[in-house]
Amino acid sequence: MTTSPTGVRPEPASFRDPANRVFHVGDEVLRGLNAQAAEHWRTLAASPFFPTLVSAGKVCATEDAPPTMVPATTGTPWAAVLRHERIPFVSHPYEWSFGMLRDAALLHLEILRTALADGFTTKDGSAYNLQWRGAKPVFIDIGSFEPIRDGEPWAGYRQFCQTVLYPLLLTAHLGVDFQPWLRAQVDGIEADQLRPLFGGTRRLRPGVLTHLHLHGAMQQRNAAASTSDVKAQLRAAGYSRDLQAATVRGIEKLVRRLEHRPSGSHWTDYQRTCGYSARDRVAKEQFVVGAVAAAARPRLVLDLGANDGRYARLAAGHADYVVAVEQDPAVVDELYRALRSEGQQRILPLVVDLADPSPGGGWRGVERAGFAQRASADVVLALALVHHLAIGRNVPLPEVVDWLAGLTAPGGAVVVEFVHPDDPMATRLLANKPEGLFPDYRRDTFERLVEARGRITDRLELPSGTRTLYRAVMGG
Amino acid sequence: MIHLAYLDAGSGSLIVQAVVGGVAGAAVAAKLYWRRLVDRFRRQPTDQR
Repeated sequence: MTTSPTGVRPEPASFRDPANRVFHVGDEVLRGLNAQAAEHWRTLAASPFFPTLVSAGKVCATEDAPPTMVPATTGTPWAAVLRHERIPFVSHPYEWSFGMLRDAALLHLEILRTALADGFTTKDGSAYNLQWRGAKPVFIDIGSFEPIRDGEPWAGYRQFCQTVLYPLLLTAHLGVDFQPWLRAQVDGIEADQLRPLFGGTRRLRPGVLTHLHLHGAMQQRNAAASTSDVKAQLRAAGYSRDLQAATVRGIEKLVRRLEHRPSGSHWTDYQRTCGYSARDRVAKEQFVVGAVAAAARPRLVLDLGANDGRYARLAAGHADYVVAVEQDPAVVDELYRALRSEGQQRILPLVVDLADPSPGGGWRGVERAGFAQRASADVVLALALVHHLAIGRNVPLPEVVDWLAGLTAPGGAVVVEFVHPDDPMATRLLANKPEGLFPDYRRDTFERLVEARGRITDRLELPSGTRTLYRAVMGG
Repeated sequence: MIHLAYLDAGSGSLIVQAVVGGVAGAAVAAKLYWRRLVDRFRRQPTDQR
């Protein structure tokens, strides 16, 4: 990522539509618009639907800013510059659970349907058009709105299928997690990649015959035809705005029918089976609250291995925003549905395997920033996590501590639980490994490693005597 | 596999939206294919000249 001498940093994910570009200046998020995009923006801002969507929190808040705030990238100065509301933590669709992708899809379709009624459309249909405020999705790609041209179908349909609908079909109909597929391909899943998995009677599942098989076949048959020719042919054949609206309603109806509720995994029941006594739990909760509230109110707390979100919720009482990270998509989905029903807008649940976190993706590997590039928290919670990495995943203990320090903003704190080697959970993990494999997995070694990278301010041994909690200020 | 660029709606993806658009959509698609067919026959005598 490059920063110009004036402190203006172009957003690496915003280059595909040359009509506009997003920049970061300090904490501000700005968007430069070319002449045509600026004209579209003025019509959009004056439309009845746009301010309604913004005030409902469905589209990110946007206002005009001085055009001189961002430099021109092509020699021609931007015709207009917009200032956007800042999203507290940027996430990618492959870090969302099924319910999150589904709700994001429904919001995208609702926005498109509302826009169509007022003569606007969106020029793309990407899952990346959406972000989150806690458990509430928000549409961020203001540059995607443009006036509708009569007689043309939705230009974003193919992209919507690839980045939203196909991933949902994969999970809803086959029970296969979509996250690794989306993570591997920034443009989403191609119809031809998915079609072989939907043979036989699976063709008859909702949405499969039309949006997948027919769509894939049509793409092949019309590969040589230009889109401008096809648009002219459709216009001549009488394709109308009403038809586009009907298609969008049809996709909305289909997405509402797609559901996935997996049966409980090892982790969905973890809080009940993880072996804490009631006294341990009370002591741990008090320690965590005290540790989060110890210094100035944190802007961002990362809860690593959040499970059912118990500690993320406690932290949210004393922080602006909490990102609750968990590796099991089913657990994240449960947490998301609970947070959504509570109307929670300050806790964002994400699917991330901490031993294999989201890497950088897309163009030059920076278009979609990796998890480590985005994560810089004032407080990092690592509760009942270190033993899973150090014993379960064989990550050397010094590396685990280095990694925790790396996720912490300068002067920030780590709240970490060390499970002693004689704890029942640690013993269970150790029993699966060759004997004597982790001689350094000891409490004194761990403390020494933490003190080499920060200052332990508080410590508490839980009443059961096999787990110790620490609060350490890193780099301090 | 067809790799289509960003902001390229894709020709097949445009037509399939007519097909999935209920009876009215199917009628548009049928009209489009009919016109393509008629155009092909109209063009052929010219090509043979």
